[in-house]
Amino acid sequence: MTLGARLVLGVVLMVAGLLKVTRLDASIQSVRLYQILPWDVTAAVGSALPIIEIAVGLLLVTGTFVRVSAVVGSLLMLAFIIGISSVWARGINIDCGCFSPGAVVDAGQTQYPLEILRDTGLLLCGAWAAWRPRSPFAVDNWLFAPVTEPAEDPDPTIADDKEPAR
Amino acid sequence: MTQNNRERLRQAQADAAKQQRLNRIIGVGAAVLVVVLIAVFVGVLLQNQSQQAVNSSSAITPPNATSDGKAVVVSPGVAKQGAPVVELFFDYQCPVCKQFESIYGSTLNTLAASGDIELHYRTMNFLDANLANDASLRAGIAATCADTVGQYSAFHNEIYAEQPATEGEGYTDATLRATIPAKIGITGDSLTTFQSCYDKQATKAFVTTMGDLGVQDMQTVTKQVATPTVFVNGKNLPFSGLGDPTGLLDLIKQNA
Repeated sequence: MTLGARLVLGVVLMVAGLLKVTRLDASIQSVRLYQILPWDVTAAVGSALPIIEIAVGLLLVTGTFVRVSAVVGSLLMLAFIIGISSVWARGINIDCGCFSPGAVVDAGQTQYPLEILRDTGLLLCGAWAAWRPRSPFAVDNWLFAPVTEPAEDPDPTIADDKEPAR
Repeated sequence: MTQNNRERLRQAQADAAKQQRLNRIIGVGAAVLVVVLIAVFVGVLLQNQSQQAVNSSSAITPPNATSDGKAVVVSPGVAKQGAPVVELFFDYQCPVCKQFESIYGSTLNTLAASGDIELHYRTMNFLDANLANDASLRAGIAATCADTVGQYSAFHNEIYAEQPATEGEGYTDATLRATIPAKIGITGDSLTTFQSCYDKQATKAFVTTMGDLGVQDMQTVTKQVATPTVFVNGKNLPFSGLGDPTGLLDLIKQNA
């Protein structure tokens, strides 16, 4: 379950990031089309977002720091949902620029409900993975492997003797 | 006593193992964090640099550009005192802009030449993002390069004639740097100057900024980004009032 959630959110984030990372100037432009952030901030956000998406996607797919990266991934989705809702409410017609540089589209071509539904699904994936971060095929399993205690004396009856007898 | 020693040894081993686990987690975590930070830093830096490279090397501002870098003036210096400032926002790849141009272009040019209006062309390039090419930007560069040899308006008018029938095919370099100049009679030294400007993308920074500022102004005034858009004295001219081109000046004056 967590493995599925991890892979879905991770792969989607990686694809979204990779499609945009080669055209950062266009990525900046699509951030601007949302008309939320101040003009100068958009340049930094537009350049950094695809890279962060790829990084978080990689961490989720490989299962590294699942809880932390799932939280970051969920926050990204939450931000996207807020962004899309905001342009929808303000009557701005753009496509979300999620998987390609965003663009102005005709009023009839906006897909806001679908985009929000998709991001909500991904948000749930992220929330699940953050809640139950343990899953097979994860770097975390090696990374957070519990310390293997040296074999204890199997006989509990002599346990008391182990207390330093002062 | 021996048991106590054994216990202590065991405890030390366990502590060492725990420490090792902690080091491993911190190490990997720090490595991931550092790699991501470097990637973001390099990305933003490269992006900034690619913009500055255009700014510094042989950058040209078209001679008829407005001082705020928002537009290029058509028929500069002839506008009468108090003539309304008409700003036309367009994108060379936009079919509706071509349509608008074919209906109102010559009238606007005439009004600008007679000084009844001050005509500002504001070239946008956001369609490049929609159409996944760079033809709007290159067409904008070509037109502003034509301004350096005094042929801005003629070049602008001719670009739409070459607009590909299918939106998204874009303009070829050959069309922009050879076909159109030949058509409007840019030859000899002028042609060399023009082509060198185009090949070096010398006006790219100006055109990019013009596009950014245009998107910004449209967002502020009309709450949307669309071409064509016309401002009269900084206010949006509703296209609902548009009719025959002969009534254009009256419409402009009403909205001034």
